[in-house]
Amino acid sequence: MSTGAAAPPLARPARAEPPAWVEAVGVRAGSIVAAFAVGAVFLAATGHDPAHAYREMAVGAFGSSFAVEQTLVKAIPLALAGLGVALAFTMGLWNVGAEGQLAVGALAASWLALSAGGLPAAVVLPGLTLLGALGGAAWALVPAALRAYAGVNEIISTLMLNYVALLWVDYLVFGAWADPTAFSFPYSRRFPEAAHLPRLYGDVHAGALAALVAAAGLALLLGRTRWGYEIRTIGASQAAARYAGIPVRRRILLVMATSGALAGLAGAGEVSGVIHRIQQGLSPGYGFTAIIVAWVAQLRPWAVVLVAVLFAALLNGGFVLQTAGVPAAIAYMLQAMILTFVLAGEYLLRRLRRRRAVAAARALAPP
Amino acid sequence: MRRGIGVLVTVVVLSLLAGLGANAAQARPRVAFIYVGPIGDAGWTFQHDQARRHLAATLNADTRYVESVPETAEVARVMEQFIRQGYTTIFATAFGYQNFGLEVARRHPQARIIGIGPAIGLAPNVKTIYGRIWEGRYLTGIVAGRMTRTNTIGFVAAHPITTVVAGVNAFALGVWSVNPNARIRVVWTRTWYDPPKEKAAAKALLDAGADVVAQHQDTPSALQAAAEAGKMGVGSESNMQRFAPGAYLTGTIWDWREVDAAIVRGIMAGQFTSEDYYGGLADKMVTLGPMHARVPADTVRLVEQRRDEIARGTFQIFRGPLADQSGRERLPAGKTMTLKEILAFDWLLRGIEGQAPTSR
Amino acid sequence: MRPPLVELRGIVKAFPGVVANAGVDLTIAPGEVLALLGENGAGKSTLMQVLAGLYRPDAGTILIDGAPADLRSPGDAIARGIGMVHQHFRLVESFTVTENVLLGQGERRFLLRPAADHARVARIAGAHGLTVEPRAVVRQLSVGERQRVEILKMLYRDARVLVLDEPTAVLTPQEVAPLFAAIRRIAGQGRAVVFISHKLDEVLAIADRIVVLRAGRVAGEAQPAETTPRALARLMVGHDVDRPPRPVAAPGAIVLELRGVDATGEGGRRALHAVSLAVRAGEIVGVAGVAGNGQRELAEVVAGLRPPEAGEICLDGVGIGHLDSRARWRLGIAYVPEDRLAEGLIAPFPLAENAVLRDYARPPVGRGPLFDRAAARARAAAIVERFQVRAPHVDTPVRHLSGGNQQRLLVGRETWRRPRVLVAMHPTRGLDVDATASVHRLLLSLRAEGVAVLLLSESLDELFALADRIAVLHRGRVAGERPTAAATREEIGLLMAGAVP
Repeated sequence: MSTGAAAPPLARPARAEPPAWVEAVGVRAGSIVAAFAVGAVFLAATGHDPAHAYREMAVGAFGSSFAVEQTLVKAIPLALAGLGVALAFTMGLWNVGAEGQLAVGALAASWLALSAGGLPAAVVLPGLTLLGALGGAAWALVPAALRAYAGVNEIISTLMLNYVALLWVDYLVFGAWADPTAFSFPYSRRFPEAAHLPRLYGDVHAGALAALVAAAGLALLLGRTRWGYEIRTIGASQAAARYAGIPVRRRILLVMATSGALAGLAGAGEVSGVIHRIQQGLSPGYGFTAIIVAWVAQLRPWAVVLVAVLFAALLNGGFVLQTAGVPAAIAYMLQAMILTFVLAGEYLLRRLRRRRAVAAARALAPP
Repeated sequence: MRRGIGVLVTVVVLSLLAGLGANAAQARPRVAFIYVGPIGDAGWTFQHDQARRHLAATLNADTRYVESVPETAEVARVMEQFIRQGYTTIFATAFGYQNFGLEVARRHPQARIIGIGPAIGLAPNVKTIYGRIWEGRYLTGIVAGRMTRTNTIGFVAAHPITTVVAGVNAFALGVWSVNPNARIRVVWTRTWYDPPKEKAAAKALLDAGADVVAQHQDTPSALQAAAEAGKMGVGSESNMQRFAPGAYLTGTIWDWREVDAAIVRGIMAGQFTSEDYYGGLADKMVTLGPMHARVPADTVRLVEQRRDEIARGTFQIFRGPLADQSGRERLPAGKTMTLKEILAFDWLLRGIEGQAPTSR
Repeated sequence: MRPPLVELRGIVKAFPGVVANAGVDLTIAPGEVLALLGENGAGKSTLMQVLAGLYRPDAGTILIDGAPADLRSPGDAIARGIGMVHQHFRLVESFTVTENVLLGQGERRFLLRPAADHARVARIAGAHGLTVEPRAVVRQLSVGERQRVEILKMLYRDARVLVLDEPTAVLTPQEVAPLFAAIRRIAGQGRAVVFISHKLDEVLAIADRIVVLRAGRVAGEAQPAETTPRALARLMVGHDVDRPPRPVAAPGAIVLELRGVDATGEGGRRALHAVSLAVRAGEIVGVAGVAGNGQRELAEVVAGLRPPEAGEICLDGVGIGHLDSRARWRLGIAYVPEDRLAEGLIAPFPLAENAVLRDYARPPVGRGPLFDRAAARARAAAIVERFQVRAPHVDTPVRHLSGGNQQRLLVGRETWRRPRVLVAMHPTRGLDVDATASVHRLLLSLRAEGVAVLLLSESLDELFALADRIAVLHRGRVAGERPTAAATREEIGLLMAGAVP
């Protein structure tokens, strides 16, 4: 540390604070390394070779073009639904119904795909994308209207509607939409080729583009538009929003519809980009994982995309761990531990940031 | 902290390189299993894991497995991972894996994927296996029909898919062959693996007066519910006697050991047949668990006699006339059902109480 | 007089920015009903919370039965026989009366004996004339009944000094009489009751002795028989002081006028009754009153955050009662709300985004659907400059600013466009001396510019220093209105207490 030679001796030497970005990168990397270190102890204690397990995990998530594709494919629904959740949370709306909105989006898109007959892709693809978004939006508007006009707690209503939506999927794939050649197993006919989303890179379908556009759109909306300002204001303080005369009810409808539309897009992407049919269990809980993704990303749109990719890698890596001979329980435990450490790191980072800001304000203002 | 990242990156890169060289010469057969539930289900997945252990013990196979893989695109990822590691013989032990298995098989001609039938499609390197589980259910129906005192028998069934429906119908025919007046009530749980739900379904049937509860589920929950109520139960999937020794009348058992071993031996010898294979009582893919001590000797003899007749092909379970719940005749007198027709069962027999399998 | 049960000597208790008790001496004798009288913020509640073990005094001694006591918690206090019933009850709503009374008693028994417990609670209740059903669940009880449960809790713990913090504030007039009867009965058993209040009539009706606190000190003591409401009011609010020099202004035409306005408050109760009030251009009208007498509702009715149920609100003679807060802002009604950080500002947002909370929808910040961040920063920088807000940066979250800087930002934003009317509620609450002075200068300069200012304050000093006229709200009505020059503190104090001078 080099301070001026003339510095008076009574001044306490200020601790050299690293720049903020070093802190951010350092804490995050540190928490991941710490998670792996503790995980290694567990692996070793249960008789598994940590180096081998981690190598398999990394290879399974990023180690081949197939792995990268699969990680990205999985990240698409997490990112889209995560963006929707993040938008709603930003306004203080606890939309935990992304799973159901995703399912209804998938249903709406599947309806077109299964009944499109000989329509060309140029009609079917935009159509099912739109229908997916509309389906998710419609499903989200139910709790939104209940909240805006009747004061019904949206946590309960969105959560409950998840089950209703999933049962609708069951009803259709066991019944009217069941594949006649599938011995009544719960899935539909395969979609015609015209209803398959084009692929961008390997298995990565056009939904990736939608996720990027959605992230950009959301970042723009929240940071650069009046609606975004209003949404953030409502989320930060209902009283201040009322004070400023923001039409809170209309914004609830807008935000929930957009949030649901994004989840619906995720559903449409899964059926037309990945599975090419609608089936029972089409989402392994993407809508719920999206909530964690949104939180870890601290509701920031671009961070949601990044976290979705990391999460997808983590989830894929978990199955890979099992193929490497690590029991399921330990694989899940490792996943949970990494998540816990990452969350703890984010918390620490927030504390550090706050300390910085308070110190800056103190330095300037008299007590 | 930056050094930490550097170490991490180095580890990842090194491990990538190491992974590429991992495919060395292989003397032992490498066999992977993909399970839809946990091994601890004590049923469907447990039995497949028994087969895996059998392969390891008898053929010195190097086996790997992954549990609780959903019937979605997830399974394709797991298959790809196994293939990358050199485990090119893959037993994908759930029906819903087939679609994804076919795509993976197309991508990796050297892989051998064995799915659970009935087949919805085959490829040169894909085979499906399944058994005539309804043959076993018919036999357990005889036992249940003889043992019921209330003349009401419950059946906890998973999904209303054709193979399950065929099993329920065969069970009913078995019951009625010895006890024409017995009532049979079916509850669909619409889940393969959900112990609390299976238990609740069984309790509902017991409350409705059933004193024997049969099941087609992956866990012994229905049987346990019967035992707790002091009633009797019929097991499914595995030998569930140890879960309720006092209540377990008998039950069907899946035994995949010999089938799987034969397939692996064939692959080791360079042979593989792409087919939709059906086992049953004849090849002991489907067997019965131990009989309860209270089952009378003449009933045991009758069951053994029928078993041998079915195995020899001299006794047909689904013989006309058969009518559905609405009373419509589905199979005229004198006719017997073909395998294809049995695999298309989407209706319950007249006299079975419970929701029709489909709402189509 | 018998030897005192409790003696407080030189109690000092300070909070950041305010000294609540500045050396208070007080004795409490057995069998007496002692009234603690004073304005909001005079230090009554703080003093009793020190006695009840909730706060530890910064200086001073508590003597109980003549021996110094170190009360570290309410548990310590109740163990020494001092129990306090707070304004906000601390009951478990889903429990029965008996369960609430017994809660935290550290019963040694493992098994409960509900029947015996109910009987015991019923017996104590009967002995003190506190009718309440021991088996009733608290959720179903009225406010008055809940208060009795709180008192029972303290009697069950054998409190010798029972402190009641503004017990009548939550009661209907019909419930007051039985409470007073119970207080008499409790005191008759040799226990002491401390009755905190700012209502002169009640104090005169119930107390054996009255101690008046003002600004954290004992302002005087009186016997009910030997005093008058007027004398007590004088003790409460202090003597008239010389007013700071204030530029003379000639008020212009009426800008804001309320005629017979009714409004409903939180919880559906009627908070304003036929309020009529007028503010002229270049005039500050002060509104005095004890907290909870309709000030908040009055401010919100004018600002457009609370719809009037009846009556008219006019700006320059035009009715605006149907307009929402944004529309009224555009017509020139600015509002500095009571809770600046929860309502007027958005704590986690930076200065820039707070500076445009009112104007984000209009150019230069709102252009079409877009929000121009650069314009917001520019506006914030201009407010910071003009109103001397000290902040590291316009991107600093406002929660990191000091209260004074937050308030300067808020007032700066509200007055940026030179409003026609400014409604300011407790604009200096919680601010230090310098910040208070700067807000006062701002209000006076607005007055000089011809703005009509409605100033709601709980500080009579502030109202006398700034207002041209003072209106007093009591129970949602305008109890009186005086030109400041002709008003005395005593007179205003009496109006605030509901007495007609």
